[in-house]
Order: sequence, then C-alpha cells, then structure tokens
Amino acid sequence: MAQGNKKAKVGWSRREFLKTAGVAAASIAFPEIIIACGPQSSGAPTATIPKPRKGASIRLLQWTSFVKPADAEFKRQAAEWGDANGVTVAIETVTGDQLQPKTAAAVEANSGPDIIQMQYAWPQLYTDACLDVSNEVNILIGKLGKPDPVNEAYCKVNGTWRAIPYTIVPNAWTYRTDDFQQAGVTSFPKTWDELTSAAAKLKATGKPISQTDGHAYGDSLTMWNPVLWGFGGKEVNADGKTVAINSKETRDAIRWAQGAVKAGLVVHPEWLDPDNNQAYHADRISGTLNGASIYIREKIEFHHYTDVTNNAPMPSGPKGTFAMNLIFNHAVMKWSPDAETAKAMLLALMDKDQYMKWTTVASGYNAGPFDAFHNDPVFSADPKLKAFQDVVAPGKWPGWPASPSKKTAQSQTQYIVADMFGKALANGGTGDVEAAVAAAETSLKAIFERP
Amino acid sequence: MGTATRADALPAWHRRRVRIYDREAPLGYLLLVPTLLILGIFLLYPFLFGIWLSITDSELGSLGNFIGLGNYRFEFRNTDGVFYGAVVNTFLYTGITTVFKLALGLVMALLLNQAFPFRRFVRAALLLPYIIPTVLSYEAWRWMFDPTFSVINWLLVNAHLVAYPGPNWLGVPANAMAALIIVNIWRGTPFYAIAFLAGMQVIPLDLYEAARVDGATRWQQFTNITLPMLRPVLLVVLLLSTILTFADFQGPFVLTNGAPYNSTQLLSIWAYQWGIPGGAIGLGAAISLVLFPLLTLVVAGVLFMLRRPE
Repeated sequence: MAQGNKKAKVGWSRREFLKTAGVAAASIAFPEIIIACGPQSSGAPTATIPKPRKGASIRLLQWTSFVKPADAEFKRQAAEWGDANGVTVAIETVTGDQLQPKTAAAVEANSGPDIIQMQYAWPQLYTDACLDVSNEVNILIGKLGKPDPVNEAYCKVNGTWRAIPYTIVPNAWTYRTDDFQQAGVTSFPKTWDELTSAAAKLKATGKPISQTDGHAYGDSLTMWNPVLWGFGGKEVNADGKTVAINSKETRDAIRWAQGAVKAGLVVHPEWLDPDNNQAYHADRISGTLNGASIYIREKIEFHHYTDVTNNAPMPSGPKGTFAMNLIFNHAVMKWSPDAETAKAMLLALMDKDQYMKWTTVASGYNAGPFDAFHNDPVFSADPKLKAFQDVVAPGKWPGWPASPSKKTAQSQTQYIVADMFGKALANGGTGDVEAAVAAAETSLKAIFERP
Repeated sequence: MGTATRADALPAWHRRRVRIYDREAPLGYLLLVPTLLILGIFLLYPFLFGIWLSITDSELGSLGNFIGLGNYRFEFRNTDGVFYGAVVNTFLYTGITTVFKLALGLVMALLLNQAFPFRRFVRAALLLPYIIPTVLSYEAWRWMFDPTFSVINWLLVNAHLVAYPGPNWLGVPANAMAALIIVNIWRGTPFYAIAFLAGMQVIPLDLYEAARVDGATRWQQFTNITLPMLRPVLLVVLLLSTILTFADFQGPFVLTNGAPYNSTQLLSIWAYQWGIPGGAIGLGAAISLVLFPLLTLVVAGVLFMLRRPE
C-alpha cells in the first residue's frame, strides 16, 4: 500500500497533470502570460499586459490609406474594441503630407492625439514625446515572432522601443502586360540594365515606363534610394557620421539612370505621389513603381486594365536587390492621460486574427510587420500581389547602412538623393554628374557634420 | 441749507471709478489694454518666441540651449547653394509678383470704377480667387499645369501657339518658377483691385469735374488726381502684399514643394523643411527670420512715406 503510494508519486498525479496541461494550454493561447510570469533568469523581458480603463477616450491620428475600405475596417475594429471595453475611440485620418505637420504641432504643444502613426524615422525625431512601449512590443514578439528589421530599426531608439510596429506598404512595379507584349518585352526586367532595354522598347510604343524624380513624399524615395544601393552607393557610412556619397558607386548608379532616361525611361520631376497613379489609370504610361494601390484600385474600382496589369519586384543592381517601402508604426504619446488604454487598444488591433482581417480588406496594400504575417493569405490569394510580398525582405531605409536617426530623417525630407538624380537626369539625362554629386555631398555634410 | 452733490452721495470706490472715466488720458490707456493684450498674446509673444528659438539649438518638443547666431552662421556658411538659391528665389518671386499685382490691380480697379451693367456682380466675382480655399485653388492649378492632363497646354496646342505636348510647367526650373508667379498673381491681384477700388470711391468727383473744365486729359486726371489720392491705400496695400508674399508658403508648397531639385525653393519652404519634417525648429526659425531686418527697412520706408505730408 505504502509502496503503491510511493509509485503514484513518481508518476504524474492528476493535480500535476492538470496544472501542467493548463499552463501549456495557456501558453499557447496567451503567450504574454508566460512572458509576464516567466523566470527572470531566462533573460526574457518582463511583460505586463496593459488594461483599458472604462470610460477613457482615445484619439488616434494616422494617414488616409490609398485603399479606403482598409481605413473603414480599421475604424470598425477600433470601435468594436472601444464598445467592448467601454472606451470612446476616435480615429482621425489625414493625407500623408499633412500627418507630419500635425504631429509636429502636437509634439511642440505637448498635447494632441493619444496615439500617432509614426512614418519613417519619426520616432527618432520625436523620441522624447513617444512613450516607451518595449513591454507591449515584447508581448507582440511573444505572440507574433520577430519584427521586420526595418520596422525595428525605426521603432527602436537607443535600445528602447518608442513605437509599436504597425505595417509595411510594399513598393513594387506595376505594369501593363499588353503594352509590354506589344513592345516585345515578355517579362518584367530582373535587372536595372534590363529595365533600360525594356524602357527603350516601351518608349517606342508611346506609353513609356515613368517615375518621379522630384519631391514626391514616397515614390521618389522608394525609387532612387534602391537604385543607389543597387550599385553600391550610400549617403553615409554605417557610423552615421561619415558622408560617403562621393564615390564611384554613386556615379555608376547615376550613369545607369542617365542611360535609362536616354534610352526611354521617362522621369517627371513635377510628379507628386498621386501623379503616377493617375497617369497609369489614364492609360498614359505602361509601368511605374508604386504601392499596390494602382493594381488594387484597378481591381476593385476601375476595372479598365485589371486583366492586363501585373506587378513585379525591384530589379537587381550589381550589388544586389534592394527596395524601400513605406513603414508605419504607432507611438503612444507622453501627454496621453490614458496611455495604458492606448497601449491596450494597439495590442488588440495587432492581434493576429484582427490584423489579418484588416490586411485582407486592404487587399495586399499592407504587409504585417511580424513573422506571423509572412504567410498572409492575402498575397497568395492573388498571385499578382506576390511581388509586393517579395519586396519586403530586401527593404531598407533612407540613410542605410547607417541606423535611422534625426540626421537621416533630415536628409530624407530634403530629398537629397532624389535631387542628386534629378539634377543629373535633367535635359533628357544629360545633367552634370559631378555637379550633382558635389551638391549632394555638400548638403549631406551640412546635415551629418552639424553638431 | 447744505446741498449734497451726486458725487458726495456715491461710495468712495465708485467716485474713484468715475474720476478715471472722466480723465481722458487714463481712460484712453484703459481702453487700449484689451487690444494690447490681444496683440501681445497673438503677435508679440510668438514673434519673440520665434527670435528666441532662432538663437537656440531647439528641436521639436524640447527647448534647446542658447547658441547665439550659430543657426544663422550655419545657413550663411552652407555652400550647397540651397539657402542662397531660396533667398534669390524669394526676392524674385516677391518682386515680380508685386509689380504685376500692382499694375493689374490698378487697371482692374479703374475698369471696375466705371459704370456698366452687372457692375456689382462683377465686383463680387472678383473676390473668387480669395473665397476659394487656398489649397483647393492651388490643387486646381496643379491639375492645370500637369503635363499629362494640362488644360492650359491643350489650349495652347490647339490654338497652334506651341507644339505638342506643350511646356512642362512644373518639371523645368524656369517654367516652375513662372508657374508659381502666375498663380500668385492670379490670387493676389483681386486684393489689390478691391483695395484700390475702395480708395477710388472716396475721391471727390468735383476734382475730376474741375480738371475736365480745365481741359485735363484722362491720363492727366489719372496721374494728377487718382494716383496722389490713392497714395495712402497704395502704400498700405503694397506693404501688406510684400510682407505676405515674402512669407508665402501654402501655394508654393502645394505646387512644387521646392522641386525640381530645389530650383523653386523659397525661404518659407526651406524653413519648414528644416523646422518641421527635419525637427530642427531653431534652425527653421532662423531661416524664416533671415529677411526680418530687410523687411523692417521696407516697412519703415513705407511708413515714412505714409506720414510724409503732401
């Protein structure tokens, strides 16, 4: 009898089994609990789940998506969460170019929305105004896996998460298959040199491949930075201090661009972000670099060229394939009287099921910023969207290989790289390369050597 | 029998109040207080704060340390040409638009001062460029200048004035600057015209009748009566317009944002690029204040001319 009792203790008792099984089930369902309660010795960061306060009001400011139903779904989810938790939620959307002035005004006034969408390196610019959200990001990492390196680079300032990774707007090429076939181009170019050949053939058909080289908030940066990187050029070294634009690699990139323009690539210094979309929908161009909005609007709204529109990832240069995507993250602002509620709402919106409902409505315009979203079915449901998934991995940020900083943000907002290409591409691609590089170098030195 | 005056019957605090109301100078200052408060809060404080920012290394959201004229030195010593280009462009933009607005405004006012059918309707319609929200009207102009959809180019090409596809308005530096100037003139001329028209309406008709009796031509009437009588209005309008055009931001920002490659960069946009998206609010403030000494001279000159006796 006694031995029998002893034996029973060696195996699993019913209580032990239930306890272990319960913890295992809980860890699968709510991994943040494990993060929160896990042993400190494991090195895992301690996480505390933020709780919403009943009766709180939360204002969130972000840009107006080019895919309107995505905004509607985001607002619906936020309202649903608000209703369930007794929180009043207001989502305010403004155009991309209005978002930063509004953000800057709020930061300067130390008052405004509880949550602001941070684009590019804004967490570096407004670090002191953004609360530490390391706890919340760690919860998300526990649930969703590793964050995208570009989102991480932007959100993490001096080792502290100042924003919660939110989304990636991948930028790929959208082109007309019928025009390409008519020009004798059977597939979208895989290299920049192939793009030159294709551009020459397309120009002859009267519908060129076109892109901005002006002061477009997104499209100019997403085009000319990857070209620069693809040929080995860079604005600044990894130390974030030494300006490195004056190089053979930069000249190679510019000379490629000049060759492409002479051959038939049409650049528009006057174009802003919506202009290439309009030109494509108006049947004036055969290809351009953009977010998925051109294809998505053709598919769900215009239906003029849906069947003859396809998308392709970035061509490669001699030094590899690079892309630059629009990166958005959410910061909880320090003046928020209900920061915990704001954090709780953001965590709820990043819940995998919720988030993927939103990306489904966004129809491929947005990609998730964590490992768990890498196989988002929205990209496999329509094979034409795969290109937008493919450009996420080679994505970098302006100023790369230096980490994002106030300096890289200043260089970006002054369009120094785009202007360098723009000057060299003036007058049909016959601009002065040396003058363009010298001007860029002087401007960059003014920024990076400023105390 | 003693007679008590009304003042004697009032309590002491009330008597004091009455005395203040009775004395002209203290009452004048008292009545000025609300205006001074409003001016102080909404004009003087932001202005002084701007000057303070310009001599600090402040960044958005955090007040920096005093660095003297460091921000000014930084821009004046920067050799990338953007700052000096912006200074030149700002002068060109202000100078050319002011001359055109003045001339066209004057012509427009002279025409509107005549009697013709629907005169009131036409006068009201003149204000349209002012009534439409700036950003909306500039977006419409952007559309009209767009190389793909430009209605201006369509007209020019179909009138056989230029070859297809017409000028690239916003993509070529000289054209882009011309476009900025055209739109500013379009928007600013009605302001001049309405102000001049108001000035012309108060010129006594007797003066013109006397001049006609003396055999003065229309041109002589204009130069000897209209222009001198308009001088105060003209100077005030010129002053306001010059200051507003120097600081113009919305239109150039919507139309070109400094593109192509900073060839239409103005001081206002350059200050914005450093101060708001770049976060260096101290440097941005310094750039926007660079022209302050010069503008002060212009203002002083105009005020001197206004005070000068006939």
